[in-house]
Amino acid sequence: MRGDRLHLFLLLLPGIGVLVATFGLPLFWAVVGAFGLGADGTGFTLTPLADIFAEAKYRKGLMMSLYYAIAPTTLTLFVAIPLALLLQKSFIGRKLLNGLYKLPLAVPAIVAAFMVLTLFEQGGFVDRLLMLGGWSIGKIVRDPLGIGVILATLWKDVPFMTLIIAGAFGAIPGDTVHAARSLGATRLRAFWAVQLPLAMPGITAATLLCFVKSLGNFAAPSLLGPAYPLPLSILMYDSYRDGDWMAIYAMGTVLILAAFVVLAAYYTLTAAAFGAGKATTSR
Amino acid sequence: MMLIHSIRSRGLFLSLAALICVLLMLGLPFGIIVLWSVSDGWFPPNLLPDGYTARHWLMFLSDPSLTSAVINSLVITVVVTVATMIIAMPTAWALARYDFALKRLVEIFVLAPLIVPGIVVAVGLGRVFLKLDLAYTMLGVIIIQVAGVLPMTIRILASGFEAIPADLIAAARTLGANRIAVTRHILIPLSIPAMLAAGLLSFIGSFEEFERTFIVGAPIVHTLTTRLYINLSGAGLVVPVASVVCLILLLPVFLIFMLTSRIMRDDVMAAGMGKL
Repeated sequence: MRGDRLHLFLLLLPGIGVLVATFGLPLFWAVVGAFGLGADGTGFTLTPLADIFAEAKYRKGLMMSLYYAIAPTTLTLFVAIPLALLLQKSFIGRKLLNGLYKLPLAVPAIVAAFMVLTLFEQGGFVDRLLMLGGWSIGKIVRDPLGIGVILATLWKDVPFMTLIIAGAFGAIPGDTVHAARSLGATRLRAFWAVQLPLAMPGITAATLLCFVKSLGNFAAPSLLGPAYPLPLSILMYDSYRDGDWMAIYAMGTVLILAAFVVLAAYYTLTAAAFGAGKATTSR
Repeated sequence: MMLIHSIRSRGLFLSLAALICVLLMLGLPFGIIVLWSVSDGWFPPNLLPDGYTARHWLMFLSDPSLTSAVINSLVITVVVTVATMIIAMPTAWALARYDFALKRLVEIFVLAPLIVPGIVVAVGLGRVFLKLDLAYTMLGVIIIQVAGVLPMTIRILASGFEAIPADLIAAARTLGANRIAVTRHILIPLSIPAMLAAGLLSFIGSFEEFERTFIVGAPIVHTLTTRLYINLSGAGLVVPVASVVCLILLLPVFLIFMLTSRIMRDDVMAAGMGKL
């Protein structure tokens, strides 16, 4: 028994040990540091955290971070679910589509941002196309609404989400949908009452991963976003270069809290709509 | 009959539309970048470059800061992928095949990095590296990248190992196969899809990584992505040069993606991520 325990411990050690050292401890220090404790602190204080909500720069930064995360994730859902459903069908060109749509997964976020620049900046390719008809594209790069940022994030997120959601739809036994249809359910109702709840764990996972990834997004907002307000990720980087540790820890802690709040809200909403728990696939 | 026919042609139309959309979403941006990289002047409102030249590509080859970024990128990516697989495999095996107290807690801890914004961990770890003199070193960049791809790698490997039927191993053992034979003939062949997916994902994750590398490595250790960022965020953005860097960045990733997508199964990757 004892040898078995040791065996298990040795197996877990490399992965868990590295994660404790590179994730657990830094995160712990960051959260503790936000309260003025730890090596960089000067004793317990709530001032840095309070400053985040008091100072316009940080408060708007938090809003901007949430906006850059929620807007593209929501839009992605509306593209990814139909695309994932389409991939369940057999049609000519399915194989090609199935291979092609995943390509952006392998494209670095900065390259995606650069593509948005060359296409959508004023004087970019799309603008030139519109010029033929006498129109102009207007400002959608470094614009106050951050449309360029959302476009770049969307381009990266759609394949990621589609891959996971298509996997979730694919894991549903075909018989269940057939049964619902033969019992008189319309196509829409079969989707709404059978497929969607059964695929919900996958959809939730995809949404969650996309949301958190976008929340810490740095490259796209700094290259394509407006100069003010900047999201917390960029403010954190600036403070890092200045060595302003208290501000970094406070921003990091608020960002983590914000992630938890949004995720909790999301879980509550989907649980209310689909009765999570009941609707889990066996896999 | 008419009805069936119309449904069928509607389906065909839909799939055709989707295919054209995808081609446009991919082909147009890539095409523009390729054109920019060989353009010799391209001013609005022209839809095609005013002339063509190989100048930007040749300049890239003779720019030592860019070639060193290529070498850094490749070395870091290979080391990160190999190190991540070696670190992840035993832990994934333990999570997949052992039952123990606190298992659920360990699983949640492995997933936790996925729901904490990466930049928060990156600046936290960056602070530690500054103290340990690991900041601005290759080793520091490698460690922070391993930290980034490790959770997903453990997750995918564990769900792959879990899928190996225990009966099969028991049957082989009953029929007289020893541990080595079981490993060689059952465990390794059945783990290959998951290992391939995990390896591919950490390779791509490391090669395209930017934020962590930028925080820990720049301005001393540069990879292709951080170089590209410097190039894009600076005042004198030279679009053709940036296009060349982009294409160099895309080349190895695409090659590997194409090669492995033939043998890789989507469900392995989706299963690893689709359960939180």
